Amino acid sequence: MKNRLEELRAEQHWTQQELADRVEVSRQTINSLEGGRYNPSILLAFRLARLFKMQVEDIFIYSEEEEKYE
Amino acid sequence: MNNKTKWMKRKLHTGWTLVIAGILTGIVGIIVELQNTDQPYNYRIIIGLGVLLAGYGIGNLVLHRAALKNDQITGRMTVEDRDERTLLIRARAGNKAYWVSGVLIYIGLMWASFAANGSLPDLSGDVLWFFLTACTLVPFGIYIISIVIDERNL
Repeated sequence: MKNRLEELRAEQHWTQQELADRVEVSRQTINSLEGGRYNPSILLAFRLARLFKMQVEDIFIYSEEEEKYE
Repeated sequence: MNNKTKWMKRKLHTGWTLVIAGILTGIVGIIVELQNTDQPYNYRIIIGLGVLLAGYGIGNLVLHRAALKNDQITGRMTVEDRDERTLLIRARAGNKAYWVSGVLIYIGLMWASFAANGSLPDLSGDVLWFFLTACTLVPFGIYIISIVIDERNL
């Protein structure tokens, strides 16, 4: 699943570790999320959305086509 | 005491428990070995288990005592332990190790059944020892390899 995490983090001038500390996950999880290799749990998605004051679907872009080939 | 310190104290308790269990197992191993010198069994395997447990416990204690002095490190270790991606990677590794372990045991069971009616040679002596060692070590190896691969790909 594509997402705008890297872009949103850059806007805040946060490092991956700083973002990880704010949502209480490891830096590696943020790295995997940004690289699109890992999809977050619904709880983490909401924590990220709340942190950036946005809706979940504004950060994570769901595509039915992509899901078919995952 | 906050949640992170509580978690760290729990880890320290686990470390001490492992050290004590390791020492007790080692002592039992030494006593059993001394009392059964006429038996052909190798009791050092019990002492080895004790050393392994105590070593793991000491490692735990050193790591968590050092981390307890630094709030930031305590926080990150707590997060690492509950991190959803880490839990997923461990669960996937555990699942693969479980199936490999099941297949190995099934092969052993089939071998023993065929050996009983003379179709295959008996599983005994060194062959049995190597087979049981493989049953212990192969799933553990699969677990570690799976974690390494998933850490890179996930």
